[in-house]
Amino acid sequence: MASWGRPENSRLIGKRVQRLSGADKATGKAKYTFDINRPGLLYGHILRSSVAHATITHIDLSAAEALPGVKAAIPLIEPGKRVRFEGQEIAAVAATTDDIARDALRLIQVDYDELDYVVDMEDAKEAGAPQIRDDWEGNQSEPRVDERGDLEAGFAEAAVEVEATYHAPVQTHVCLETHGNVAEWDGDNLTVWASTQAVFGTRQNLARHFELPENQVRVITEHMGGGFGSKFGPGVEGVTVAKLARITGAPVKLMLTRKDEHLVGGNRPSMTQTVRAGAAQDGRFVAYDMSGYGTGGIGSGAGFTGPYVYHVPNYRTEKSAVAINAGSARAMRAPGHPQGAFAMDSLMDELAEKLNIDPLEFRRINGDSDARRDRIRQAEYTLGAQEIGWHRRNRVPGSGTGVKKRGIGVGCGLWGGGGGPGTEARVTIHASGAVEATTGTQDIGTGIRTVIAMIVAEELGLRPQDITVKVGDTAPGLPSRGSGGSQTIGSVAPVIKTAAMAAKRKLFAHIAPMVEADPGNLRAVGGRIRTESDLRMSISWKEATGYLGMETISEGGEWDENLRVGDTAGVQFADVEVDTETGLVKVIKIVAVQDCGLVVNRLTTESQINGAVIMGLGYALLEERIMDDQTGKMINANLEDYKVPGTMEIPEIVSIAYDTDRKITGIGEPPTIPTAGAIANAVYNAIGVRIRELPITPDKVLNALG
Amino acid sequence: MENFAYVNAADVEQVPSLLSDDWTETKMIAGGTDLLGELKEYIETPKKVVNLKSIPGLDKINADASGLAIGALVTLTDIAAHPTIQHHYTVLAEAAGSVASPQIRNVGTLGGNLCQRPRCWYYRNPDIICLKKGGDTCYAVEGLNKYHAIFGGGPVYIVHPSDTAPALIALGATAKIVGPNGERTMPLEDFFVLPDVNPQRENVLEPNEVLTEVHVPQPKMGTKSTYLKVRERGSFDFALSSVAAHFEMSGGTCSKANVVLGGVAPIPWRSVEAEAALNGKRITDAVAKQAGEAAVANAEPMTDNGYKVTLTQNIVSRAAMRLA
Amino acid sequence: MSKEKEKDQTQGTSISRRSFLKGVGTGAVAASVAPSVLIDAETAAEAQMGEEITRAKIKLDINDKAYEVEVESRTTLLSVLRDGFDTSGNRVDLTGAKPICERGECGGCTVQVDGKAVYSCMTLALDAQGKQITTVEGLADGDQLHPVQEAFVQHDALMCGFCTPGFVVAAKSFLDQNPSPSHEEIKEGLAGNICRCGTYPFIFEAVKTASRKMGG
Repeated sequence: MASWGRPENSRLIGKRVQRLSGADKATGKAKYTFDINRPGLLYGHILRSSVAHATITHIDLSAAEALPGVKAAIPLIEPGKRVRFEGQEIAAVAATTDDIARDALRLIQVDYDELDYVVDMEDAKEAGAPQIRDDWEGNQSEPRVDERGDLEAGFAEAAVEVEATYHAPVQTHVCLETHGNVAEWDGDNLTVWASTQAVFGTRQNLARHFELPENQVRVITEHMGGGFGSKFGPGVEGVTVAKLARITGAPVKLMLTRKDEHLVGGNRPSMTQTVRAGAAQDGRFVAYDMSGYGTGGIGSGAGFTGPYVYHVPNYRTEKSAVAINAGSARAMRAPGHPQGAFAMDSLMDELAEKLNIDPLEFRRINGDSDARRDRIRQAEYTLGAQEIGWHRRNRVPGSGTGVKKRGIGVGCGLWGGGGGPGTEARVTIHASGAVEATTGTQDIGTGIRTVIAMIVAEELGLRPQDITVKVGDTAPGLPSRGSGGSQTIGSVAPVIKTAAMAAKRKLFAHIAPMVEADPGNLRAVGGRIRTESDLRMSISWKEATGYLGMETISEGGEWDENLRVGDTAGVQFADVEVDTETGLVKVIKIVAVQDCGLVVNRLTTESQINGAVIMGLGYALLEERIMDDQTGKMINANLEDYKVPGTMEIPEIVSIAYDTDRKITGIGEPPTIPTAGAIANAVYNAIGVRIRELPITPDKVLNALG
Repeated sequence: MENFAYVNAADVEQVPSLLSDDWTETKMIAGGTDLLGELKEYIETPKKVVNLKSIPGLDKINADASGLAIGALVTLTDIAAHPTIQHHYTVLAEAAGSVASPQIRNVGTLGGNLCQRPRCWYYRNPDIICLKKGGDTCYAVEGLNKYHAIFGGGPVYIVHPSDTAPALIALGATAKIVGPNGERTMPLEDFFVLPDVNPQRENVLEPNEVLTEVHVPQPKMGTKSTYLKVRERGSFDFALSSVAAHFEMSGGTCSKANVVLGGVAPIPWRSVEAEAALNGKRITDAVAKQAGEAAVANAEPMTDNGYKVTLTQNIVSRAAMRLA
Repeated sequence: MSKEKEKDQTQGTSISRRSFLKGVGTGAVAASVAPSVLIDAETAAEAQMGEEITRAKIKLDINDKAYEVEVESRTTLLSVLRDGFDTSGNRVDLTGAKPICERGECGGCTVQVDGKAVYSCMTLALDAQGKQITTVEGLADGDQLHPVQEAFVQHDALMCGFCTPGFVVAAKSFLDQNPSPSHEEIKEGLAGNICRCGTYPFIFEAVKTASRKMGG
């Protein structure tokens, strides 16, 4: 049975290995979809609704079509149909330059019959609010109720109770490379360079749309500028660009603008939840009654977690979604978790304070109902508390002196990330000694390309840079899943590992007679093949592969669930400083203790944790989609007023990879979950006033301080 | 953005003749960081853009006994890094160094920083025709006004985004303007106009006038100055509130205080109330606190920006204590 | 085309020698439909005062190479780098600088102009004439990466990498000005760039390493 072996026997696994694409990215050589310049390339843009809700009565494309340089102008909505949010697609153009395409949009005449709209979640719930979805009655979905134990008995047992309402805003993904594609037809064959997290998913979607067999659609994603869950299908823009390319007979590039990206590129739904919870005198969390909702815009999903990682025997939760006239939610880095975790960790601290118990102790008492996760999280509490200096926290919140007050807080998370079957891969060894690893996953910035090279190199006794990794292309016909749910490494690594093992076995079998050795006795180490028993028998990798002559070894692999693990636990601690005169929250330090399973590349793992923490910090302190009631518009659809963390916001981040397991797991999402809760609790510990609404901006802090 | 005719100006005197007397027809470009933002959002669609960078000599800082003469084309980077400005006109160096980002400061000019248009999110939205753009509504009144004015608002409630303007006013600077009828000079304080005078503009410039130079008198011996700016995002953000403070000190007493606020009013807001609370006083915690309170005594917060009152009060006190 | 204007005889060389028309586009349609003013590279470089340029052939010095390109007045430097063609019809194809916000808010398009970091999305191509433009592609010496690039790779100061070219150029420009910065100075010096993957901590490390390598 395949295994990752013992740490002391790993030459590469668990080490810090530079990203293979690093030099290409640092020199500008790396070509992203946005950078693909095909001969005769045209530029596409989409005209979007400037209003939140209207019936389109007329679209006149003639002036746009007449503009020199415009090669196509097409409607994307039929007159008579409704647009239901600012940004919905109305028409598209393709032109010889980007500027002309933008000019053309301004020449399209659209007549709107404007309808009442609602962009506020509370207003949308009111009777008589404009109806947004045809498949719902009203604007609120049927609540999903989840019950366990006996809630009344739980409250009867409670010595303390907390009632509170927590709110988290809509966050947008802000992929730096906007959504988009370059499409090119050759007869009935379509090639699409896509900024996507799923080349095979995108292929299937396009094939279905254009009624083509899958093998006539090729999707390529060599490098990709950020997705965070928002880039799985081709989207309206992907289908549109392929249409424009077909009409014009030329390759067309259509990348969303920054504003488009905010409006239609997806978002994390908001959350408003009201909770009543109780704990017994001995510290047991005994009752949890939560009712909440969020908005995913015109989308239907807005779920969040709760009671989450904490065990409570008696609970009732009621969750629903509220539709508003705004762009639809999409999966965003640990969907549902950061908002739920923020509320839950805030609540745990509030309960602990009423019980007069240390919040960490209260968490320890009410551990995870999953035994493995609980064991890991308890150990993580200890590691993290020590690193942050938990003893330094204010015993009495807000009791620090001075204008700038320090505070410490904790937050928790859990995630799956174990991956699954469905990936095909090949490891190919050529007579020249060249080695290729090929699979249909895509490197969206996580570093999977490097991880694949490391695994193959480890197996074949080579260096990672000796392995040519071919990912992000459907042409080889080796499918893999979309890169989401932190599932990539758990899905891909086992297949790559077993493929490399198979290729090695085949090579050994081939050369064993030549070197008069038993194939089972051969080892691949340090760029050489040698026998275990006779160290004098040692030939270079190239000599060995030279014996292949005209042959090539190309082996597939099998997904092996014993090589990966899911259900990870994470804990974070935040140390913050609040300027009580300006309301500014400065995060001094974050300690992220993250269950990482088997770390393959320690360097890129740390990068993932840093990045997830920073996105969580943005969620805690800065980010919010702001909808304007008066105009129905997102009023901050840019990078000035939609504020993502910059250099000045970055704290010291200590990431502790809790990697006791010799099985692989994905960690792209889990470390973004606990951050906001930890920061919110640290802010409370600093100032002694609870802020139950994200982002924690100076206005809220100053208003709270009164 | 729409295309335009680009014209290099030969010298200052030529500029008015290249400019139209209609605001919508022509614009000037120097660093371009504000103008191109407006053009890209189609907030302005001028037929002609007059390049000022072709004018020789406007990118000079002259420091002598009479004070500083700063050409309109001097970059914010150069102002922030100028040793004389750092030492004797500290508030200006600090203000220039706090603008936007290094890339913006490398090309952004003093003239542009003083004449930049507001950042109001209604104003900057191409699909919203607000009062400032010739419409009939200032949407901030009934809408989202977290970043809007607590002083001097009405009928438009934008805040003036400049960092250097409060600093220069605190330093008693004058502005030189060249127009079709020649040159005129005025205190920089008088350069800015409230929306009740002209809701569509932020200053006195006519469409065919250009700000060419700012003169700052040499501060008296023993003066101290500082610029304090609070941004929501530490990296690259406009001020929620800022204070430029310039104190003439004699023997531990503040003989004359100049306090000018940024980010809180449609123009750089001189706080005569704070100045009165400081003049003639030895600056103690209590005096600084009084100055802060005085600074906001007449504030008129809107629905979402009440926090700016507290914030402004606190940073005025803080700035005063920094100079104590 | 609108507004033919009387040529301004006071402005030096005679216009008749040059291959251009005068005029002003009245916006998108006019600028694109009508025969545009076309000024050749020499003429544009002379920066004739008072003459109205809507379209011109200009020379740009990019990474120590001369490019002759035809631009409109509104064409940004970023647009020339990424989507421009030289007058022989070859793509400039310097796609290192990225369009991310296109409003001077993110730093993705940072290049050096005369040694200073600027946002190429907020720089008109016309304004870049006669200046030395260095893009991320111009930093390495053949296969030898610039110390900043080397340090970015070494420290994994990049993930998806889309912001990386802008950060590399910004960091290089910053170190040119401040060869041995403190941690806080690095943060301030790079505050004009955004990374959504959150590579900042390793970017700071990379800048420190590069500073040491460059003898700062």
